[in-house]
Amino acid sequence: MTKDERLKKRHQAEKRFRFYGLASIFVALLFVVILVQNIFSKGSSAFKKTVITTEVFFDQELLEIQNGASQDEIMEADFYDVMIENLIKAYPAKDRDEEDELLKLFSSEAEIEIKKAFLKDNNLIGKTITLDLTASDDIDQLHKGNYPRDLPEERRRISNFQLIIYDYFVEKKKISKNFNNYFFNNGDSRDPELAGIGGALVGSLYSILICLLLAFPVAVLASIYLEEFAPKNKITDFIEININNLAAVPSIVYGLLALQILLATIQLPRSTPLVAGITLALMTLPRIIIPCRASLKAVPPSIREGALAVGASKFQSVFHHVVPLALPGTLSGTIIGLAQALGETAPLILIGMVAFVVDIPSSPVDPSSSLPVQVYLWSESAERGFVEKTSATIMMLLTFLIVMNFVAVYLRQKFEKRWN
Amino acid sequence: MNIVLIFLITIFSVSLFFYGRSKTKTISIKNNIKLNALPKFYGYYLVLWCSIPALVFLLVWSLFEPVIIKSIIIETAANQGAIFNDKNEANLIYEKIKAIHLGTFFGDIDSILKESALAYAKFTNLFTNSKVVLIFGIIIASVIYSLKKIKSNNKARDDVEVILKGLLFVSSLIAILTTLGIIFSLLFESIKFFSVINIFDYLFGTNWSPQRAFVRDASSITTAEFEELKDAFGFIPLIAGTSFIAFIAMLVAVPVGLFSGIYMAEYASTKVRRVSKPIIEILAGIPTVVYGFFAALTVGPFFRQVGENLGLTVSSESALAAGLIMGIMIIPYVSSLSDDVINSVPQSLRDGSYAVGATKSETIKQVVIPAALPGIIGSVLLAVSRAIGETMIVVMAAGLAANLTINPLESTTTVTTQIVMILVGDQEFDSPKTQSAFALGLTLFIATLVLNYIAQRAVKKYREKYD
Amino acid sequence: MSNIKIKSKNLDVFYGDKQALFDVNLDLNEKEVTALIGPSGCGKSTFIRCINRMNDVIDICKVTGNIEMDGMNINDKNLDVVALREKVGMVFQKPNPFPKSIYDNISYGPKIHGKGETKSELDQIVENSLKKSALWEEVKDRLDEPGTSLSGGQQQRLCIARAISVNPEVILMDEPCSALDPIATAKIEELIDELKKTYTIVIVTHSMAQAVRVSQKTGFFHLGKLIEVGKTEKIFKNPDNKMTQDYITGRFG
Repeated sequence: MTKDERLKKRHQAEKRFRFYGLASIFVALLFVVILVQNIFSKGSSAFKKTVITTEVFFDQELLEIQNGASQDEIMEADFYDVMIENLIKAYPAKDRDEEDELLKLFSSEAEIEIKKAFLKDNNLIGKTITLDLTASDDIDQLHKGNYPRDLPEERRRISNFQLIIYDYFVEKKKISKNFNNYFFNNGDSRDPELAGIGGALVGSLYSILICLLLAFPVAVLASIYLEEFAPKNKITDFIEININNLAAVPSIVYGLLALQILLATIQLPRSTPLVAGITLALMTLPRIIIPCRASLKAVPPSIREGALAVGASKFQSVFHHVVPLALPGTLSGTIIGLAQALGETAPLILIGMVAFVVDIPSSPVDPSSSLPVQVYLWSESAERGFVEKTSATIMMLLTFLIVMNFVAVYLRQKFEKRWN
Repeated sequence: MNIVLIFLITIFSVSLFFYGRSKTKTISIKNNIKLNALPKFYGYYLVLWCSIPALVFLLVWSLFEPVIIKSIIIETAANQGAIFNDKNEANLIYEKIKAIHLGTFFGDIDSILKESALAYAKFTNLFTNSKVVLIFGIIIASVIYSLKKIKSNNKARDDVEVILKGLLFVSSLIAILTTLGIIFSLLFESIKFFSVINIFDYLFGTNWSPQRAFVRDASSITTAEFEELKDAFGFIPLIAGTSFIAFIAMLVAVPVGLFSGIYMAEYASTKVRRVSKPIIEILAGIPTVVYGFFAALTVGPFFRQVGENLGLTVSSESALAAGLIMGIMIIPYVSSLSDDVINSVPQSLRDGSYAVGATKSETIKQVVIPAALPGIIGSVLLAVSRAIGETMIVVMAAGLAANLTINPLESTTTVTTQIVMILVGDQEFDSPKTQSAFALGLTLFIATLVLNYIAQRAVKKYREKYD
Repeated sequence: MSNIKIKSKNLDVFYGDKQALFDVNLDLNEKEVTALIGPSGCGKSTFIRCINRMNDVIDICKVTGNIEMDGMNINDKNLDVVALREKVGMVFQKPNPFPKSIYDNISYGPKIHGKGETKSELDQIVENSLKKSALWEEVKDRLDEPGTSLSGGQQQRLCIARAISVNPEVILMDEPCSALDPIATAKIEELIDELKKTYTIVIVTHSMAQAVRVSQKTGFFHLGKLIEVGKTEKIFKNPDNKMTQDYITGRFG
């Protein structure tokens, strides 16, 4: 090989190498884009629900209450017959089977929705109103275009007759999409069209709150001790080794810890944000300690010495002067730690948050779920309707995480002093 | 009741603060005594002594009271003639007793349950009353002691700081407590497990099928059942599955991560670096359940479809899909750490190489990377540790069948998946099945600990060279 | 009468907005030692780094003007720097051996440039380079040991051997002895005297005594400008420029 040829080869190798590097970054970025695009495309439809516009006539003969009935009386009353009578009128059905199929087009919440209309205005007896009743999951998915229509009837979830009704409704503009309030207000449900993240959201909120209340003070105090007061001896080394190890322990081990100590030994109530919060706090502790210590370390000794020089005690110098300067970095690290805690799933599964919880928890000791666990639970369901709900939940989760990370980075950049 | 107590203690402490502060002020002025500290510190002193012993006592008591009462009541019920064959039945009866006491039990109440419910009421009252009395006693004793100290004009600020320093020290002990807690939790159940299953059968067994294991108390196994048991808890297929999927993950993460790290450290302009580094780190911030969902819903079926088109049988829960997604998640672990490590290599080494006429890539390949190698290896090991401890991606996207395979198109299960599968659903205490989950957890814990230790040593050795 | 090996004309160097070298015109003679003296930060290192385009490594550095070697413009954008650096070697202020064995330190350059394809050829090159840098006797039995296990002076000679291994024509030395003790310094100065028979050498030095000892031509820099250049004897005995005079007599440093 002549010298020139060799040089050329070397330069080509250089170009190739550089290209591999750039390509790798692109590949990594591409994954992010594909993931986000995939989730968002699947999830955006969950924020709307399909409704069927129906006329509802409140027949006195079918209701046991009168106009002007109290809230309690209305709640106790049975609206089932009213519902059946009105829904059947939506389309001509020639026999019992066809009637059943017609009824199946509506969600199982139809009766309650009619009742709610009466609760709003309790003078409707003998009157007719138009209501947007939530459609069943199958119609919802069909209307959103997720069910192929060109399959033979046995392989479809929607019968031919139901398709006829559906097309009729579409033609008569009786089918539309409204904002899906159920998604935000309701707890979990077997019916995808009624399922919501309300319970999981509150559960996550309680869990993170408890995690913060427990982890933050302990972590900051521990960091201050280790950084400012601890003597350089074996015990301190041992504590530091422990903290570094705990940061790297797989999260499922914390789940086992919670199972054994919190649930079996101390017997806290299972499946509650209280237990979740304690478990998450134990996990988040090292994740706060490490940035907090780094921030404390970054404060120059001159600050401490200046305080001591005017007669402050070591304690006062630390708490009045050093800690405030380390606060931005600490808070930033805390927010990031909490963001990671928000996304934790495995340990929460182990402490029982996989229970089917319909009610929104009203306190940290009520059984609940959490956002990531809800994602896990719904992803195990077969119904197509849950796919969009799961994706939409992920969208909410990711939004929270992005906001939290932005706040953390902003805090750090705006308030942290650079010691040059 | 506890909330009330905490509230009372708080109110009392706060009022003591004001009392202490003003009293010391007036006494020092009246008797013309020079205080050894500012008045407010005397107040703080009282507050700390009044609240800390009482609150600690309350915490410890509340932690152990339920367990103690439970064991007392269960024993009482047994003495009454109640029969239960294992812990589960005992728990069930105890729950009934509690429900009767709360008035939420609607079944038949026999005399045993009735007596036990009465006993429960009696003991709960006894305990609560004792608790309140003892707390009062503690508070009174603490207040007397601390008032006495104040009267002797102690150096309040110093004393307060000593107490606070103690609090700080205790806070940092939490880390050790957590580690001890983890070790205890894992060991406790694992030891029970290994008293039934031979540890060598576990470590070297090649069959994992705990569903076959019966659901009864270990103390009443027949020999035939025991023989069957021996074969049900073999660890090898699990470690094989975990390693295999982790290996696939590293095949993705190491090249992409390392090259990204190299590019960011050596080639990228500050602008590009400032943008790309945080975006890549987003990959690490995405909750793993999201990755699992993506893998299970999109990637797994996609691979199966492609496989079908190519005439291959690909499971929809293939190790390939799970490993690929896990690899993506791990990319930032490798790229960020490598980037930092490569940046730390002194510029003088690069200058020496350039001066001799090497191209940038030659310098990186032959001088920089070898110099940074311990650090890079450390970052790879940390990534491996992360991979084998990963749970959600494999639970959702990998299989449940513990088969020993090196075919990435098949499904295989991992240690973490099995832990979840065993513990989700009804758990029976004292069954080898439940205990095996803890044994798995112990093995996982030890493995990640060892990996992390080696990784940190490698990075440390590297830092010592260049810092 | 020596030939001119390297010629700079109207050379300006900028670090961002700050100008470091102003209109430098300097000729370097073949197979001669040229010393560059002047107070700290006056641009001497910057100048020699222009010759082997090491300033390219620094992002914000901009070089304008002409540097020619053997009729070739070094500042040409299309110039292959890799080939240039084969011809122009460099020894740095602080010895920077690679964390490799002594043998690999020396064989690195030749291998890259394709010199020495067989093991015996490489062995020969390594031996020659080490002999030429007066290190062979001391390390010939321990070529496998890491380069970093040598003493400071030995490391610097190792770096010189490394520079020689690719058979350059010019060797640039940036204060090569400033990190060394007097004995090591003396050895290296001895070496330079030998090396000038084969290579053109440019040495930046803080020590005027050293400049007197080793160089035939000296250039005096101050605040980025080449104040005076000429035969070493003349510069130190009776310089033309007052500033040169002041510097030499220690009026400022």
